[in-house]
Amino acid sequence: MTTVDPVTVEAAGDAVSAASGDVAERSDFGSYLLSKVAAAIVSFFVTLVIGFTIFSIMPSDPVAALTRGRPTSPRQLAALRRQLGVDKPVWVRFVDFLHRTFTLDLGYSYQYHATVTSLIASRIGPTLLLTGSSTLISIVLGIWLGVRSGWRHGSRLDRLSSGVSLTLWSVPTFWLGLILLVAFSVGFGPIPSLFPAGGMTSAGVGGGVIGQVLDVSRHLVLPCLTLVLVVFAQYVTIMRSSIIDELGNPYLLTARAKGLRDDDVRRKHAVPNALLPTVTVIFLQIGGLVGGAITVETVYSWPGLGYLTFNALRIPDLQLLEGTFIIFSASIIVMNLFADILYRFLDPRVRAQ
Amino acid sequence: MRRQQAGSVMRHGRLRRAGAALLGLGVVAVSALVGGGAPAGAASNPILKIASDTELTTFNPFTSYYDGELNIIAVIYPSLTVGDSHNVPQPYLAKSWSHSPDNKTWTFPLRTGLKWTDGKPITAQDVTWTYNLVMHNDAAASANGSLVTNFASVTAPNASTVVIKTKTPQGNIPYVSLPVVPQHVWASRVKNIAKELNTEMPVVGYGPWRLTAFKTDQFATMKPNKDFMNTGMFKGAPKYSELISYYFKSSDASVAALRTGALDQLTGMTPTEFKALAKVGGIKTYRTAPVGWTAVEVNPGARTKGGQKFGTANPALADQRLRAAIAYSFNRPLLVSRILDGLGDPGASYIPTSYPEWAWKPSAGQAITYNPTKANQILDQAGYRKGSNGVRIDPKTNKPLNLRLGIHSDDDQDAQISQYLVQWLKAIGIHVTIQSLSFDALNKNLVKGDWDMLMDGWSTGADPTYLLSIQTCGALPPSKTQSGSTDAFYCNKSYDKLFAAQLSTSDLKARAANIRAMQSILYTANIDIILYYKDQISGLRTNSTSGYLTGSPDSNGVYPLQNHFVNWSQAAPVDAKSSNHTATYIGVIVAVVVVVALVAAILLRRRSTAAERE
Repeated sequence: MTTVDPVTVEAAGDAVSAASGDVAERSDFGSYLLSKVAAAIVSFFVTLVIGFTIFSIMPSDPVAALTRGRPTSPRQLAALRRQLGVDKPVWVRFVDFLHRTFTLDLGYSYQYHATVTSLIASRIGPTLLLTGSSTLISIVLGIWLGVRSGWRHGSRLDRLSSGVSLTLWSVPTFWLGLILLVAFSVGFGPIPSLFPAGGMTSAGVGGGVIGQVLDVSRHLVLPCLTLVLVVFAQYVTIMRSSIIDELGNPYLLTARAKGLRDDDVRRKHAVPNALLPTVTVIFLQIGGLVGGAITVETVYSWPGLGYLTFNALRIPDLQLLEGTFIIFSASIIVMNLFADILYRFLDPRVRAQ
Repeated sequence: MRRQQAGSVMRHGRLRRAGAALLGLGVVAVSALVGGGAPAGAASNPILKIASDTELTTFNPFTSYYDGELNIIAVIYPSLTVGDSHNVPQPYLAKSWSHSPDNKTWTFPLRTGLKWTDGKPITAQDVTWTYNLVMHNDAAASANGSLVTNFASVTAPNASTVVIKTKTPQGNIPYVSLPVVPQHVWASRVKNIAKELNTEMPVVGYGPWRLTAFKTDQFATMKPNKDFMNTGMFKGAPKYSELISYYFKSSDASVAALRTGALDQLTGMTPTEFKALAKVGGIKTYRTAPVGWTAVEVNPGARTKGGQKFGTANPALADQRLRAAIAYSFNRPLLVSRILDGLGDPGASYIPTSYPEWAWKPSAGQAITYNPTKANQILDQAGYRKGSNGVRIDPKTNKPLNLRLGIHSDDDQDAQISQYLVQWLKAIGIHVTIQSLSFDALNKNLVKGDWDMLMDGWSTGADPTYLLSIQTCGALPPSKTQSGSTDAFYCNKSYDKLFAAQLSTSDLKARAANIRAMQSILYTANIDIILYYKDQISGLRTNSTSGYLTGSPDSNGVYPLQNHFVNWSQAAPVDAKSSNHTATYIGVIVAVVVVVALVAAILLRRRSTAAERE
């Protein structure tokens, strides 16, 4: 006789229902993922069409701009128009554009005499170094200050950090860049010249790898500082308000009732719940990282993608503009997709929906 | 027990974070103070650091358009002739030159024994190959094609002679000098010449400098060519161990670099920056004669070469008296004072004052100065009576004088100037509507003849042929749908005769006389009413550089036009007897204070929260 242990049966039943729940959840996740990826692809395509249309209707004559003020014969101009492909009808250029986009050939830059892909590849490193380091510092600093300000809102620290960060947030980036440039590159009063005025490297740097790392870090300080000062406020404000929203919740009272110290209540209970809105902002920011920071890169002559886009706009260097536009759009769309997916794991309420 | 462990982990975490912060600060402080291995330009290894006028992307002499690149190309590639400190052509690869009586055949015997930087000899074949490539290959003609349109052939009868034959007599050949490249390097690049960047280091060339390193849009490094000729205006290898051309996107950054010694020379800044720099020790600010002008161009009526009229210009502008009245209404000295902050000259001659050999001045009787009364008189006498609203009426069409003024939307000086022009023209009964347009839209209107007045600007090199050519009848468009190189649809047979005469003569004096007569015609025609010439403004670190500038300043303190080839060849380092130790000491003190303050803050914070942690 075999007796069946009711506990085992119950456990098996749980296992069966858990397994069928897992399958359902996976299939839910699959369709969720598919719908999000499809939406991202549609967004990308629509963005491409809008981008191309904008660049096509923008009044421009790259050949005239390139040869502005220089002696050029009509034969030279015609040859240049043919060479750069700007003499083709719009629809031919659109088909070219789509073909190039999907074959990952982003075209050719008129002013740099180089493929757009190689230009973007050479500029993406400096841009990620600048925007990556500044975003990382901004996130750490912003969340740290935001949590403390929100936790003791109305305190001196709160008033100070909110005031300073909002003031800096309101300051035009190029203006702040110029002020820092004058203060720390030229120096004034007792402040000596501490950092270079622009560029990413100095010519003929010695000292091997360490010398080059130090040289790049010297050049990085001021543009990075400018970006941090302007950007960190958004993390402070979002984190602060999220923490304040959490303050009255009963689960914090419970945590305190258990005898947890204030620090632990904040770090282990309040912060994880308050972090969600900040995650969205972080992902949006990461998507925008590739776009660089046009004003800061221009003020400090930082050879990144923002600087490249600024130069491309001036001519306008159409294929280079289209290429950078594709990269910027794609990175933001992909990061939004990641944020959507990550949200599902971070917040059970999204899963339930 | 568990809590103690948690506390201990937390303390370690905090210590780690504090340590990381201190380390980061330390790296920044150290990198700031030790200069990150940046080249110091010590006396034993002097470096001349100059600001590039433009971006640096290519050193292909067949396709490069930007001044910053062209300045470098001029010192790393040779040419048959080169401008001296007065921008007058002198023999370079050529020992001398001669020409046939009809000025159609020019012979250049070459110097012998010169070698490219890879050791191979420079021959006449290199010269003819380069010239023929520009003459017969559209892609290779991108930058300099317009200079050789009248060339029939360029040949080398022997290894050390080059002969240029032109289709029609051409007297300015010594001014028309192309950069010559080594055929053995460039022959394999012809197929893909439009995409050739020529940035593979070291670049094979010949000149006072050798291009040895380059980073797109950042800098180009050159080293002296020890084998450079030492004869005539050439003084052998330059005295610096390196020449670095840095590009800064913003003038604020480049001015900052000059102030700190990261640059030795900089051209191009705002008048405010220029005046502020004048007060900085060790820096000399200087103005150099302008190479261009800013003008209002007036449309006398668009037409094709065949005389077919088109466009929407106000027909009244065909009346020379109306154009003269407009010119009398402009207060040019006021614009120099308000727009340029005094750093320029009021406009008159078509060729800028930096080229004294072509310079022209209107006689006292011919000079058009600010005189609204006279402008009103001219219009009254010409029958342009004033309407009830103060706007004059065109007697031919019986319509009020409403004119459009096109300005460049990306040029803030255009916007400032236009505000003055509107008021001045209102004072003589002309109503003006400002049209702020993009460069492209303005150009399209220009070609279609759909404009009355436009803000215009041109500059020229030492040979003014092209600038003069855009006012000839030959520059008019062949048809309404095709564009010509005309500046303002001007056509005057007397002017054209003088243009042909100046182009065909090799007698400099005769040429100058013709060019002056042409400028007189243009001045009276008031097609391009030249408002002002803007000085080039520069700064130079005289505590590190000597002998850079050529010539002497005039009574206004304006130096003659400078030539980069000469400046970069003759500049010499100044022995650095004292360095800026004070700034370094202050830097050390500031860094130490910051680090100590940070440590103190962390310690105090730890003490204040010690009880909570326990």
